Amino acid sequence: MRMKKLKSRRKSNSLTHPQQEATNPGDFSFNITKVAVAQICKSVGFGRSQVRALNTLTLVATKYLETLARSATSFSGVANRAQPNLLDLTNALHDISLHVGFKGAATLYGDDCFLKSAVLEDLSGFVSSTDEIPFAKPIGRPKERETEGSKPSPGGNLQRGGHIPEWLPGFPDVSNNEQCNKRVNGETLWENSASVLRHETEEFQEKRDGSNGGKLSKERRRVKFWIKEGKRVDMNRCRGNNLFSQSTDEEAEAEVEHKKSKVKQTLVVYQRRRKKVQ
Amino acid sequence: MNHNPQSSDGKHDDDSALSDFLASLMDYTPTIPDELVEHYLSKSGFQSPDVRLIRLVAVATQKFVAEVASDALMHCKARQAAVVKDKRDKQQKDKRLILTMDDLSKSLREYGVNVKHQEYFADSPSTGIDPASREE
Repeated sequence: MRMKKLKSRRKSNSLTHPQQEATNPGDFSFNITKVAVAQICKSVGFGRSQVRALNTLTLVATKYLETLARSATSFSGVANRAQPNLLDLTNALHDISLHVGFKGAATLYGDDCFLKSAVLEDLSGFVSSTDEIPFAKPIGRPKERETEGSKPSPGGNLQRGGHIPEWLPGFPDVSNNEQCNKRVNGETLWENSASVLRHETEEFQEKRDGSNGGKLSKERRRVKFWIKEGKRVDMNRCRGNNLFSQSTDEEAEAEVEHKKSKVKQTLVVYQRRRKKVQ
Repeated sequence: MNHNPQSSDGKHDDDSALSDFLASLMDYTPTIPDELVEHYLSKSGFQSPDVRLIRLVAVATQKFVAEVASDALMHCKARQAAVVKDKRDKQQKDKRLILTMDDLSKSLREYGVNVKHQEYFADSPSTGIDPASREE
């Protein structure tokens, strides 16, 4: 595909200041992306392109890629995971396609199955309908740097990289993963839940019925208290803030009698005051 | 995928279609090579051992670029159809479809990307117009 340059003054600008046009067009990765984007444009039907237009489209493509990756990473981070999976990627694709719109965008999270999305269907249609356009030139893979940088440690773990100092303790043993996966109340990861994968409805019902419907599991006695003279007194025979201790019966009886006498005194006092006012 | 879809009992069409699609991704080679996509993904913090996810990102980007380019092509052809006078001219211009900033900015506008030139005051109407589209 032949490149067409613009006016002479712009041409001189592009030659003298190549790094100011786009985000570092001198970058190796940028130039490779430019070749790939040019191939895609040619497959669409363009015979030629302006240099600035191709640079702009390449920049937009790299930004799109990076935006997808960042969205997917943030989705996975919100879900306490380090590695994004298909669901994070689908979420990111939805986010980025909402501007243009796709079928089912209004009811994204209301359906049973989350992976039955129009975006993925469009992509599968694209894959099946479009011919492959292999990249023009082969790219060399960067060498593995770990093999060069690792030094044999005297007694430490050889499998961890050289970036971890030797004086740090080793990683905990995670070979007992079965215990980690099972939770006490039957909780599972969201992506394995029925709302995502459309498991059997029975399983889903089980989960819902397993809980007590919002009630407390343990039977508790009713606690009553009333505030008198600035002190909170528990009528269930516990004094002060110590609600969890329970006194013996004898002490309780003594306390109850004491309270009754106090109540009588207060009542008497109030009656006298009323009479005076009247 | 990290979770195993085969653990679900039913042979749901959606799951099977999705797994078929992901399997077909391994056969399809996206235009953007895997190493390049991995570079950009690792630059953004996306680390995944699954090659299918990398291919999915590459295919999504390729589809996006193809859509933008085809929209620009439509704008270019629409402009040529309005200008065409003779059959001979049309055939000549068909061979030279050029991706211009004008068409690209129009098509990118629909995708939420603004690459328009800043407007400015000029002496005459023909100042700053691209020489390819100038009719003289």
